[in-house]
Amino acid sequence: MSASRILAVARRIAQGFRRDERTLGLVFVVPIVITLLLGWVIRDSEAGDVRIAVVAAEGSPIADALRTAAEDADLAFEVTVDDVADEAEARDRVRDGEAEVAIIVAGLRGGPITVVTEGTDPSGDAARIGALQALMVRAVTTLLPPELGIAVPEFEHETVFLSADADSLDVLAPVFLGYFAYFFVFILTGISFLRERVGGTLERLLATPVTRGEIVLGYGLGFGFFATLQVLVLIGFTLMALEVPAIGPIPAFTIGLGVSSIGSPALLFLLAVLLALGAVNLGIFLSTFARTELQVIQFIPVVIVPQGLLGGIFWPIDRLPDILQPVAQVLPVTYAVDGLREVMLRGADLSSPSVQLDLAVLAGIALFFVALASRTIKREVA
Amino acid sequence: MHPSGSGAAVEAVDLHKVFGPIHAVDGIDLALRPGRIYGLLGPNGSGKTTLIRLLAGLARPTAGEARVLGTRMPSRPMLARIGYMPQAEALYPELSVAENLGFFARLEGTVSRAAMDRALELVELGERRATPAMHLSGGMRRRLSLACTLVHEPPVLFLDEPTVGVDPALRVQFWSHFRRLAGAGTTILVASHVMDEADRCDELVFVRSGKVIAQGTSAELRSGAGTTDLEAAFLHYAGLDAEGRPLETAP
Repeated sequence: MSASRILAVARRIAQGFRRDERTLGLVFVVPIVITLLLGWVIRDSEAGDVRIAVVAAEGSPIADALRTAAEDADLAFEVTVDDVADEAEARDRVRDGEAEVAIIVAGLRGGPITVVTEGTDPSGDAARIGALQALMVRAVTTLLPPELGIAVPEFEHETVFLSADADSLDVLAPVFLGYFAYFFVFILTGISFLRERVGGTLERLLATPVTRGEIVLGYGLGFGFFATLQVLVLIGFTLMALEVPAIGPIPAFTIGLGVSSIGSPALLFLLAVLLALGAVNLGIFLSTFARTELQVIQFIPVVIVPQGLLGGIFWPIDRLPDILQPVAQVLPVTYAVDGLREVMLRGADLSSPSVQLDLAVLAGIALFFVALASRTIKREVA
Repeated sequence: MHPSGSGAAVEAVDLHKVFGPIHAVDGIDLALRPGRIYGLLGPNGSGKTTLIRLLAGLARPTAGEARVLGTRMPSRPMLARIGYMPQAEALYPELSVAENLGFFARLEGTVSRAAMDRALELVELGERRATPAMHLSGGMRRRLSLACTLVHEPPVLFLDEPTVGVDPALRVQFWSHFRRLAGAGTTILVASHVMDEADRCDELVFVRSGKVIAQGTSAELRSGAGTTDLEAAFLHYAGLDAEGRPLETAP
């Protein structure tokens, strides 16, 4: 094992990168643009107004009570309540998009209540119905005789970690750090190594005294270096919140996501880099099974997308169906996501057994693929 | 110097290489002496490249033995003392001339700036140091590939069609450099299917269908075949008539 030959391979990769502006853009600009867009979409999307069409028996106070409750309650969206003559009209309004929700109250006092929504926006419906139920409780309470002494309960929401008004961006941001590094490093190494195999340079390398291990480690170092820079840029972007004031016609905006991390950035960095090293060697390994660059791209839905779905990014692992649990347990992204969240959101440090496990598994996976990758280089002498 | 005792720098003993049904190298014996240039001549598909790959330790023989400087191939440490130029130039297109050369030099263990400069001057790419390989002409890439092969100044050179696409003036320079290297003791095996280069070699090896059909100096081979034309001599040893058809009268 010669350090100078490992460095020569790494240096070759860096020199190739330097002349390839498009790839540099892919590595540094694209993740920021995507993270920025996601940040905007998640954080600054507006909850639409909710128009409620209420059908109630003649003389029922429920519509008025709901209207008053909506005015008093502190909701994320504007609620307007309309009395509608009959059930058919209420349904028509929902169908024609003139109302988001129709409430059909059967009896004068109590009885079954039917809620009708348009149905093509299940998650929006769920949020609106949740808010409606709270409104309903409030409305019904105001209708009760005051002498009963029942008041509208007030909820105070507190959280152990983060703050109660944290949004999904705060929970997703840590994950982007790892996932982007994984994705880009995998694609770049896969294609780069495929070129070595197809372009004859790998064969030429094997006519020099370089060992297979030196080639694989050199690749890890070269691409690991860029993955490292990428992770640093992304960590900076995620944690930073630089307010830019309005200048002339350009409105004020913020650079960075301003996600507050309570853990050590160094530990975040370590987790992301270990994950990326695994990706380098997975890329080398899988390039064996590709003949063209297009075939490397074809590994994205096989390797990258399932990790995005099952790695705990959007849905916690323990809520996955039983049959998928063992699959999730072997994906490197799973451990990176867990580690990154532990550190950023819960402030875990190296003494946390969970972070230790994540680091150990990621290092193990990286080593496993180093061995596997060097095995795929066909050579008569080691 | 050469523990095998035979005095040969490169040896093949009953060398065989079989790929499935194809017998690419079919029992070749060779002994190449130091300081000489050998021409490996034969049509496409005659086994020249496979033979070179076996001798250079890039492939393992199915049977028999290949030795370089007395060491049985494949041997990784011996690779630092071999220069191998493949048929297709193996360069990194986005790297500059100097970066490509520097990369291979470092892998071979040579970081001497003087050695790199010498190699670049030889192939007349000194002015093109900073040009990315993808912007070079085909002939220039061929020259750069040769520079990468020579940069560590190995005592044994295997060159697989080194002058394809190189213009005649530079080809003459290549050959005079090969001659200088041979004079300094380097053993050179040049594969070619261009007969007009053969006269520049000290000795020729004719191969056909994985077998050596004749070996000797150009003059010996021509007079043995009773012809002044090397191409005709090759056909003679291959048992073919002037149109390339098998001779009907068996001896």
